Amino acid sequence: MRIADVLFRQGHLSDETLTAVLLDGDRPAHLNRCDRCSGRLRELGRWLDDLRSEALAAADEAFPPERLALQQAQILRRLEQLDEPSRVIAFPAHVAAAPRTDTERRVAPAWVGVAAAAGLVMGLIGGQVWATLEPQRPAPPAVQADQPETMTPPGQPVNAELLDYDFERHVPDPLVFFDEITPALTQGQYAAR
Amino acid sequence: MTEQDQTPVSAREADARVAIDIRAFQAEGRHDAARERYGELVARYQRRAVRIAYHYLRNAADADEAVQDAFIKAYMHIGTFREDLPFEVWFTRILINGCLDRIKARRRRERWLAPPMLDAAGVERDPAEYVPSRGPSPEDLVLADERHNRLMDAVAELPERQRMVFMLSHIDGRTSREVSAMTGLNESTVRVHLFRAIRRLRGLLVAPTVKGTVAGRSKRANR
Repeated sequence: MRIADVLFRQGHLSDETLTAVLLDGDRPAHLNRCDRCSGRLRELGRWLDDLRSEALAAADEAFPPERLALQQAQILRRLEQLDEPSRVIAFPAHVAAAPRTDTERRVAPAWVGVAAAAGLVMGLIGGQVWATLEPQRPAPPAVQADQPETMTPPGQPVNAELLDYDFERHVPDPLVFFDEITPALTQGQYAAR
Repeated sequence: MTEQDQTPVSAREADARVAIDIRAFQAEGRHDAARERYGELVARYQRRAVRIAYHYLRNAADADEAVQDAFIKAYMHIGTFREDLPFEVWFTRILINGCLDRIKARRRRERWLAPPMLDAAGVERDPAEYVPSRGPSPEDLVLADERHNRLMDAVAELPERQRMVFMLSHIDGRTSREVSAMTGLNESTVRVHLFRAIRRLRGLLVAPTVKGTVAGRSKRANR
C-alpha cells in the first residue's frame, strides 16, 4: 500500500492503485478485508468493460460486414492495379541492347562531338568567305515623303529651328479646310472670357 | 487477457509464413498468387484495423481510406517485414502513422474550410440530402447516439499519446509490451499514459459528483 493511501485516504486504495490492480493483476491484501475498496474495484472493472464494449459496438456499427467485404475487394483491386499497371511504355533500352551485326560500325561518342564542332567552324568560315565574295547590293532609296524640307539629313547636326517646329500643328493639304473651320481650344477659352 | 496472448506463437508463425510466401510469389512474378495469399492477412486483421482507425479518426470514410492505404503500403513493403516481429505489430505501426498523417492533414484543411456535414455513421453527406428526411427525427437520432457520441468525444479529448495508448491497450486488448512495440514508446511510458487516460475518461464520463474530484486530479496529472 502506498504512503499516500495511508495518509490521505485512511488506508483505502486510490483510483491509480485500483487501475493498476486491473491492468497488472497484482491484488493487494487490503482488497480482501475492505468491502469498500473491493466494491470500487468491481465498479471500475465494470465501467472499463462497458467502455470497451461500447467503443467496439460503435466501430462495428459504422463498419458492418458488407462494408468490410467491399473494403477488402477495393484493397485487392488496388493491389491488382499496382501489380499490373494498364499501360507501360518502356524506354527503348532493349533496342540498344540488341546484338550488333557485322555490317554495323560502332562510332565513339567523342567523335560525334568533334564532328559537330568541326561542322560549326566550317559553317562560320564559309559564311564569312561568302559574305566577302558576294557583290555589293545597291542601297534602297531613302523615303522622303511627307517630311518637311527643313528635316536634317542623317549624320548632320540638328537644326535648332527643327526643334521648335510644331509637328502637331502640321496639317495635310486635304484637311486644311476642316482645320480652318474648327475653333481651337485656346480660342474657345479666350472667347468665354 | 486476449486471444493473441493465448496463442501468440501460432498466429505469429502463420503470419510469418504468409509473408514469406508472398515475398516468394512476388519474386517469381506470380502476383495473382501473392495477392490471394495477402487477402488472408487482410481478412484476419481488417476488423481490428477499422476499429483502431475509426476511433482514431472519428470518421468512417477517413478510417476506410486509412485502412486501405495501410494494407496497400504493407503489401508494397512486405520485403522489409522482419519475421522476428509479429505482422500485426508491424502493420499497426503503419496504420497509426497513416492515421496521424491524416489528422495533421485534416487540421491543416480545417483551418481554411468549413467543417463537413457528417451523418450518424460519420460519413460526409451532401447538405441537400438532409432537407426532406423520412427517417427518424433529429431528436431521435441525437438520443440514440448520445452515449456513443459522449464516449467518442471523451476519447477525442484525450491527448494524442494517451488516446493512442488507451485504444491499443484497452479497446484493442494489447499488452503494454505490444503497445510499446507498436508505438515506439517505452513500456513504462505506455503504462503511465494508460493510467492517465483512464483517469481522465472517468472524470469526463462518470457522474458529475465524482467528476469534480477526478477531473481536478487529471488536470494536474496531464501537466
